[in-house]
Amino acid sequence: MTTVTLAGAEVDLRRRLKVLASQEALLAIAVIGLAIAVGLYNPRFLAARNLSDVLLGNAYIAVAAVGMSMVIISGNIDISVGALIGVLATISGTLAVNGAPIVVAWLAALVVGILVMALQGVIIAYLRIPAIVVTLGMLSILKGGLISVTGGKWITDLPDSFHLADIELLGVLPFPVFLMILATILAALWMRYSASGRAIYAVGGNAEAARLCGISQPRTIVMVFALHGLFAGAAALLYATQLRVIQSTVPPNLELTIITASVVGGVSILGGVGTVVGSTLAAVLIAEIASALVFIDVSPYWIRAVQGVLILVTVIADILRRRRMAGA
Amino acid sequence: MKLGFAAAFLSATLLAGTASAADKRWDGADDLPVNPLACSAGEANAAPAAKPYDGGRPTNAADKAGKPITLVDVPKLIGIGYFNATSKGMQDAAKALGNVTVKTDGPTEAKIDEQIKFIDNYITSGVDGILFAANDPVAIAPVLKKALSKGIHVIGYDANSTPDAREWFVNQAEFNGIAKAMIDSMAKEAGEDKSFAIVTSTFTTPNQARWIAEMWAYAQKCHPKLKWLETVEAQEDNNLSFNQATTLINKHGDKLAGLFGMTSVATPASAEAVTKAKLCGKVAVVGLATPNAMKPYVNADCVKSVVLWNPVDLGYAATYVMRAVVDGSLKPGATSVDAGKLGKLNVVNGSEILLGSPFIFTKQNIKDFDF
Amino acid sequence: MSEIPLPHSAKRVVPWWLLRHETMLALILLVALIVLGYLNNRFLTLDNLLNQGRLTTEVGLIALPMTFIIITGGIDLSVGSIVGLCAILLGYSWKVFGFPLPLAICFSLLVGAAAGFLNGIVITRVKVPPLIMTIATLALYRGLAEGISQARSVRGYPEWFYFIGQDNLFGVPAQLWLLLISIVVAAIVLDRTTFGRTLYAIGNNETAARFSGLPVDRVKLIIYTLSGFMAGLSACVLVSRVTTTRSDMGMGYELDVIAAVVLGGTSIFGGVGTIWGTVVGLAMIQLLKNGLALTGVKGDATIVVIGTVLILSTLVASSLQRRREGV
Repeated sequence: MTTVTLAGAEVDLRRRLKVLASQEALLAIAVIGLAIAVGLYNPRFLAARNLSDVLLGNAYIAVAAVGMSMVIISGNIDISVGALIGVLATISGTLAVNGAPIVVAWLAALVVGILVMALQGVIIAYLRIPAIVVTLGMLSILKGGLISVTGGKWITDLPDSFHLADIELLGVLPFPVFLMILATILAALWMRYSASGRAIYAVGGNAEAARLCGISQPRTIVMVFALHGLFAGAAALLYATQLRVIQSTVPPNLELTIITASVVGGVSILGGVGTVVGSTLAAVLIAEIASALVFIDVSPYWIRAVQGVLILVTVIADILRRRRMAGA
Repeated sequence: MKLGFAAAFLSATLLAGTASAADKRWDGADDLPVNPLACSAGEANAAPAAKPYDGGRPTNAADKAGKPITLVDVPKLIGIGYFNATSKGMQDAAKALGNVTVKTDGPTEAKIDEQIKFIDNYITSGVDGILFAANDPVAIAPVLKKALSKGIHVIGYDANSTPDAREWFVNQAEFNGIAKAMIDSMAKEAGEDKSFAIVTSTFTTPNQARWIAEMWAYAQKCHPKLKWLETVEAQEDNNLSFNQATTLINKHGDKLAGLFGMTSVATPASAEAVTKAKLCGKVAVVGLATPNAMKPYVNADCVKSVVLWNPVDLGYAATYVMRAVVDGSLKPGATSVDAGKLGKLNVVNGSEILLGSPFIFTKQNIKDFDF
Repeated sequence: MSEIPLPHSAKRVVPWWLLRHETMLALILLVALIVLGYLNNRFLTLDNLLNQGRLTTEVGLIALPMTFIIITGGIDLSVGSIVGLCAILLGYSWKVFGFPLPLAICFSLLVGAAAGFLNGIVITRVKVPPLIMTIATLALYRGLAEGISQARSVRGYPEWFYFIGQDNLFGVPAQLWLLLISIVVAAIVLDRTTFGRTLYAIGNNETAARFSGLPVDRVKLIIYTLSGFMAGLSACVLVSRVTTTRSDMGMGYELDVIAAVVLGGTSIFGGVGTIWGTVVGLAMIQLLKNGLALTGVKGDATIVVIGTVLILSTLVASSLQRRREGV
C-alpha cells in the first residue's frame, strides 16, 4: 500500500463497490438459477410455501451475517457469535417465562448483545489484542458459562406472545424475512452513504490512510462490534422464537455458517471490501442449497461434500472475477 | 462462472444416483444383526439363548462393601435435558442409599475424544466407580479397560461400550422393543399402507443407528406395506431439525403421512414443523422425546404418542447397580438385581440389566412427568 | 533463540528475555502448575504428566505446521476435517480396498498431504485468501469423510497397530516420541534454516519477500501440504489410540490448535512466533484442563477458565511486549 490521498481512497472505494455489485448479481443469478434448476427436477421446490420456509428458517443466519460482514470488512473476525446467539436466546427466553414483559425480554437480547460485543471491541481496539484471540476466548467463556449457569435446562412453556418469528406482517410477510430484508437494506445504505459507515471500509482497507483522514480506528472498531452485537441480538430473537423450546446450549458450528455466508457473499477477509447485500444473498443461497439437495435426492451422506464443492466454486469464481476486473 | 455452477450442479445430480444403494436399512448404519420382536403381543418372542456373563472385571478393586464410595458419571454430553434427568436419578439414588457420592461431569458436545479425556482425568483423580454413556462403543473401550485395570468399577447406561470394557450395562429398553413401539404407533396413527420419513441426529450415532435398523427389520416383518421415504440428519440442533422436517413436508406433500423423530431434539422440532404447516392430524409424529418439550403438541392433539423410558429411573438404576457390584451382591451369573424403589431388575444378554419396556407418553399421563 | 534484535529504545529495567512472550507464558504456566500441584497430589506425578502428553499429541502434531502457517500470516481451518478424512481413508483402504495396513497408513498420510496441497495450490495460484479457502475445504473434506464412510466405522485392527496410540517406549507414551521429535525438527527448521527465515519474511512483508527473490509460493505450498500431512499423521495416532474410525473425528481440532498457537505468542498478523511458544501454549491448555479437573472443577467451568486465560495471558504478554519496545 503506497500512500493514498483522500481523493484516491474515494476513487478506490467506489471502484471496489462497483466490482462488488457484480458479486451480488452473480449470487442473485445463482439463487434464481438454482431454484429453477431444482424446480425442473422437482416442481414442489418452487411452491411458495417451500421458498418462504427456506427463507423463514434461515433468516437468523442472514441477519447475523450482516453484522459479521461489517466486522470482517473492518479487518476483524468474530468466532464468538454462535455462542453469543445461544446465550442471548437463553436470556430472552428465561425472562419471558419468568413473567418479564415480552418487550423487555426482546430488548434484553439486543442490549446484552451490544454490551458483550462492544466489550470485545474495546479489548480488540484499545488493548490491541487480535480479534481472533479475543473472540476465541469469548467463545469458550460463553459456551462454558451458559452450561454452568443453566445446566442446559430447556426452556419450555414460553408465552405465545413471545414468538416474534410467528408474526406475519400484513398477513403475508413473515417477520423473520421482513427483518432480514430490513436489516440488509438499512445496513447497506448506512455503510454506503454515511460517513461512519464508510469509515468501516477505510479502517479495514487501509488503517493508516484512515487515520490520516481523521477516522478514529479504535472508535470505529468498537462501533462495528456494538452493531454486530445488535444484529446478533436480533438473530438470537429469531432463533429463540422459531420453536416452542429453547435449548439453552450453544448452537453447534453456527459461527462457521455465519462466517461462510459473509465470505461467500464477497466480503474480503483481508478487510475493506464487501457488502451486506452480498452476504444476505449468500446466506439465502447456502440455505437454498441445503434444502435443494434434499429435493433432488442427493444421498444424505454426500450432502456436506456437495455443499463444500458449491461453496468452493462460488469463492473461486468470485476471486477469479475480481482478478479479471483488477487486470482489465 | 456459470459453467462452474453447472458443473457443480451436474456432479450433484450425478451423486444422486448413488443414493438408493445405501438405503437398504434406511440407514441404521451399524451393520449389526437385527432381531425384530413378534408382531402381536400374544405371540411369544423366541426366548434368546441365555448368554454367559461377558462383561469385564476390575483388577484388585478395593473392597468397599457397605462403605462410602465416590462415583463419577460421564454422559455423552452435559447440558441437555435427557442427561440432566439421568443425573437427577443418580442423585436420588445416592440420597436413598446414603453411602454414595456421585458427580456428573462431561464434554459440552457429544465428542468421543473429549469424553475419553474426561474419563482419563477421573481415573487419575481416583474414583471408586465410573458410570458412562458412550459416544462410541469401540473408541471408549481402551480408556474404560484402563479404568478396570486400575481397580475402578465401570458401569454403562444409555449407550453401551463393547462388553469386555465394562462390568454391567443398564439397558433402558431393548432396541427391538423401542423399534416395535415406534413402528406400531406409526402404523396405527398414519395408517398401515402410508409413507413416512425419519429425522435423526447423525447416521454415526450408535443408539439411533441401532433403533433405525431394528425399526427397519420390524417393519419388514410386521408392517410390510408401511413405506419409507427417506432419512435426514439434523445433528442435535433444534433449528436444523425444524428446517429438515419442514423440507420433508414440503418435498413429499400429501405422500408424507408420518415423521419419526429419533432424538429428544428432533421430535419436538418435527412436531413444530407439522404444526406450522397446519398438518396436525394429517402427518403423524412419532418419536423419542422428553415429556416437557412435547406437552404443547400432545395437549394440542398434534402428537398422540411419545416413546421413551424414564431417564430419571435409568440414572437411579445405574447407581443401584454400581452399589450392588461394589457390595458384591451382583456377581457374574446373577439373574436379577435389587434396584431400590424400582424393585428387581432382570439380567439379560449376558451382562446387561434391563430397566423395562419402553414407556409411551400420551395426553392422559404426560402431565404427571416433569423432565 | 536470541535472534530478535533488541530495539534501541528498550528500557532495560528488567532483562529483555524475561519479557519475551514465551518466557512470560512459561512462568505463568509454572505458577499454575505449582498451585494446582499443591491443591491436588495426583497432578504433578510423572504418570499423569506423561499421560497428558499422550492425550495432547494429536493436537500438538498439527499445531507445529499451524505455527509455520500463522507466522506467514495464513491460517488453516481445514485441519480437523483432514483428520476425519484421513481416519476414514485409513480404515476404508484397509478394509474395502484390502490394502495391507502399512500401505493403508501411507495412503492416508498421502491423502492428508494431498488435501493440504490442494489448499496450498489454490491459495498460491488462484490467490484465494487462506481463511476462505480452508473454510470451504473444512466443509468439503468433512463431507468427503462422511460420504466415503457412509457412516460406517472400521474396527478390529491388528494388535501391532495399537502400539503407537496406546503403548510405551522406554517408559514414555509411544506417540509422545513422535511429537517430541517433530517439535525438535520443527524448531530447528524454523530457527536455523533459510526456509524458516523465509516464513518470517513472508509474514512480515510478503511483497518485500517476493521482491527479494524468495520462493514465496513454493514455501507456502510446502507448509500447507505439511499441515495436511501432519493432520494425516495425527489421524493415524488417533485411530490407533481409540481403535476405531468415525467420520466426525477431529471435529473442532482447528480451534484447539489455533488457541494453542496464538496463546504461544504467534501473531495472527504474521511475522512473529516460535515453536517453543506453541509448545508452552499446548502444555498450558492441556495441563490447565487436567489440573482443574483433578482439583474438582467441572468441564463447563474449565472451558470458561481456558477462555479467560487465553485473553488475559495475551493481554499481559502483549502489554509487556509493548513496554519492552518502548511504545
